[in-house]
Amino acid sequence: MALAAFASEGTAAPDFALSSTAGTNYRLSEHRGEVVALVFWASWCGDCRQELERFERLRRTYGSVGLVVLGVNLDQEPERAAALAGAAGIGYPVLLDSGRDVSKSYRADDLPLIVLIDRNGAIRARHDALDEREERGLLVNLRDLIDE
Amino acid sequence: MRTVLISFLAAVAASMPAFADDVPEPAAERSALDAEVQSLRREVVDLNRDLFMLEEDLLFPASTQIAVFVSMDIGTFFALDSVQVKVDGKEVSNYLYTERELEALERGGVQRIWLGNLKAGEHEVVAFFTGKGTHERDYKRGTTLKVEKGIGAKYVELKISDRVRKLQPEFLVRVWE
Repeated sequence: MALAAFASEGTAAPDFALSSTAGTNYRLSEHRGEVVALVFWASWCGDCRQELERFERLRRTYGSVGLVVLGVNLDQEPERAAALAGAAGIGYPVLLDSGRDVSKSYRADDLPLIVLIDRNGAIRARHDALDEREERGLLVNLRDLIDE
Repeated sequence: MRTVLISFLAAVAASMPAFADDVPEPAAERSALDAEVQSLRREVVDLNRDLFMLEEDLLFPASTQIAVFVSMDIGTFFALDSVQVKVDGKEVSNYLYTERELEALERGGVQRIWLGNLKAGEHEVVAFFTGKGTHERDYKRGTTLKVEKGIGAKYVELKISDRVRKLQPEFLVRVWE
């Protein structure tokens, strides 16, 4: 996989294709025209579960108006990712990045990492674990992107 | 460089209607301006195409160019997941297929999985196909081809088809000059 550029705000989101825990393959560029939230997480990350659940709520609210949520899991064992995603009641795809190529290209050094991508495929915001104030900022970003 | 130039021209083209909106103008003048913007946009598209072709010619001259394509005929006995291509023992492509891409291949689409340069002489191209065979069984199959690279460009087609009599998938390699 080509990792020519690191992903930062304002740049084109690096494309990738990954398998999900359900066995389906997903390619980011196929979601052009939709607002995409990438949630990078792992089972050993304490704050990740909260973000997974938050984005499930957001998906249910904004999914019908063009928000696509893709979880990107960094665990080495897919079973762990599937078990935790199931326990958290996640309805969006959990993609397996055990090789960590995608997480490296998005500079996901600290987890959780949330990357918001606009309808043109450009990275518009990056967030780590959110407190209440930051959640409001995220919602503002998200609504702006959906309205564009 | 090409991206910068195109971005600049696109920005100029995009900014023109906004500028036109600021000052009220007669309809005829506005229509002429619109036509000019459209023409400029067309030029940007043409320029992009020419630069793309020029880039390909420079990066992959015909004397060393080799391209590998993937195609599929029916695919009842094999659900493709990924294709890995190795040339002379070195991995040059590892492609994971989504449902949409598989549908396109099943409808007759041909995908260029790799485009590269090889010097004249004999080379080994190995392709590994991974997916599900009949009864949802994991299936991995490799095919090897010795390619004699001459002066002209070389095209290799990896074709997945059904061998109906044996109820098995078949992986064919074909070389186009």
